[in-house]
Amino acid sequence: MHNTQLVQAVWGGVLFGSVYGLMALGLTLVWGAVRLLNLAHGAIFIVGAYTAYWVVSTLHMPILVALPAGVLVAAIFAALMHVLFIRPVIGKPGFDNATLVATVGLSISVSAAVLIIFNPEYKVVPPVLSGSQNVVGVQITNQGLLVIATSLALFALVYLFLTYSRQGMAIRAVSQQRDAASLMAIPVVRTYGVVIAISGALAGLAGVLLSPFFFLNPSSGFNPMIQALIVTIFGGLGSVRGALVAGFVLGLFESFVEVYLGVAWALPGVFLLIILMLIVRPNGLFGIGEVRRL
Amino acid sequence: MLEIRGLHAGYAGSEVLHGIDLRVGEGEGVVVLGPNGHGKTTLLRAITGLLPARSGEVLFAGQDITRWRPDVIVAAGVIHIPQGDLLFPEMTVRENLLMGAYHGPTWAGRKARLSRVYELFPWLENRAGQLARTLSGGERRMLALGRGLMAQAKILLIDEPSLGLAPLATQQIYASIRTIKEGGMPLLLADENANHVNGLADRVYLLETGMLVREGPAEQLLKDEALLESYLG
Repeated sequence: MHNTQLVQAVWGGVLFGSVYGLMALGLTLVWGAVRLLNLAHGAIFIVGAYTAYWVVSTLHMPILVALPAGVLVAAIFAALMHVLFIRPVIGKPGFDNATLVATVGLSISVSAAVLIIFNPEYKVVPPVLSGSQNVVGVQITNQGLLVIATSLALFALVYLFLTYSRQGMAIRAVSQQRDAASLMAIPVVRTYGVVIAISGALAGLAGVLLSPFFFLNPSSGFNPMIQALIVTIFGGLGSVRGALVAGFVLGLFESFVEVYLGVAWALPGVFLLIILMLIVRPNGLFGIGEVRRL
Repeated sequence: MLEIRGLHAGYAGSEVLHGIDLRVGEGEGVVVLGPNGHGKTTLLRAITGLLPARSGEVLFAGQDITRWRPDVIVAAGVIHIPQGDLLFPEMTVRENLLMGAYHGPTWAGRKARLSRVYELFPWLENRAGQLARTLSGGERRMLALGRGLMAQAKILLIDEPSLGLAPLATQQIYASIRTIKEGGMPLLLADENANHVNGLADRVYLLETGMLVREGPAEQLLKDEALLESYLG
């Protein structure tokens, strides 16, 4: 009994942590590089998820085809968002307000469009991996293991990309000193587009991988995005390392509270932790205010 | 090589440059002398497109680059080493240098360029792994210069290389710029101190309140102490 609870808490925490991290990664990248608070991140999430659902249910293709399709469509959707709504206001006064309104508006439009194209009924996206292991009475799903592995691998990949690749270094350069980046022949606005597309691909991937855990509906993107926002703020806006650590800290904390104190305490507990953290470190775990960038 | 005709530029509400005409020939060292706040930085920023020109033309190698984006102008070989420390603060010395070679065709040869810059400034190699924000003022200038040399420059624009530097660091910086100039690189240097630019200026312009008020060969203008005194104080 004792062991079962502990395993349950750790498993839930690591799984939640990976999910939070996966969603927060894209959000924090865009904030760090573009200074854009992308409130359409949840909408991109369901674009990926519904694409996968459509490929499976209408085209009768396996989920292994639907997964890359969802990622690709989400990335293209994000790139289009950049071209239509973000790019025109870059460098203009009122960028913050304009993009906040645009991304919220886009979220509402996507929900409405999904409602019209599909219908309000709950949809089921099949898992990539089915089956589960039983560890001292706790169901460890294979899809859950896949989510954890994918999330960790993506953090490593994004870290290596930003640290060592020409494009990744250019993203850091643009985020730290925009004028100087221009003077290095780096196309700043196109680089913003690349970051937003990468972030869209990450959100789409999260959408496809996470929807088997719940039923998909037109507002499914909302909760993951709120969680990602919380994780991003907790970890320090714009910090990749912060998103990873904060994802797991919050995931484990929530899971332990749920298992040992009861589900009713999970959300209040998480918020209490965040409030305490923000009193001690107002810029988040790894945020150093305005100066700290990718 | 570089020719500017009737250039007007400025910031919201106030014009800083009121019709600049300037020319830099092949292999020529041109210096724009003027006190602080008279438009030297604005001039260089307008040339590389960081600040859009209001009117006038900037021609480079026969092409009108006035409306080009900064990254495209730089990719064409107009390398601008900006004032102050426009470095990437959270990147290492080595990463800052590598960014100088970002442009596609240059990137392939970045290793060779890096060792050449290290040869010129051995100090940079010792600090390769250090974050740029931890460097001192003189070290930052050295890094900014090294970063500019990582690019495939056809012309170098350098903005006040000595700003805020100690005398020894100032000497080092100008010695390295002289070396670059002797290699045949055309140069447009903005400065406020006539003593610094001896030996690297072929021609000198005097800039006052956004206008070029005098132009002449360096050996003539730089010796006219009464003139320099009246403009630069």
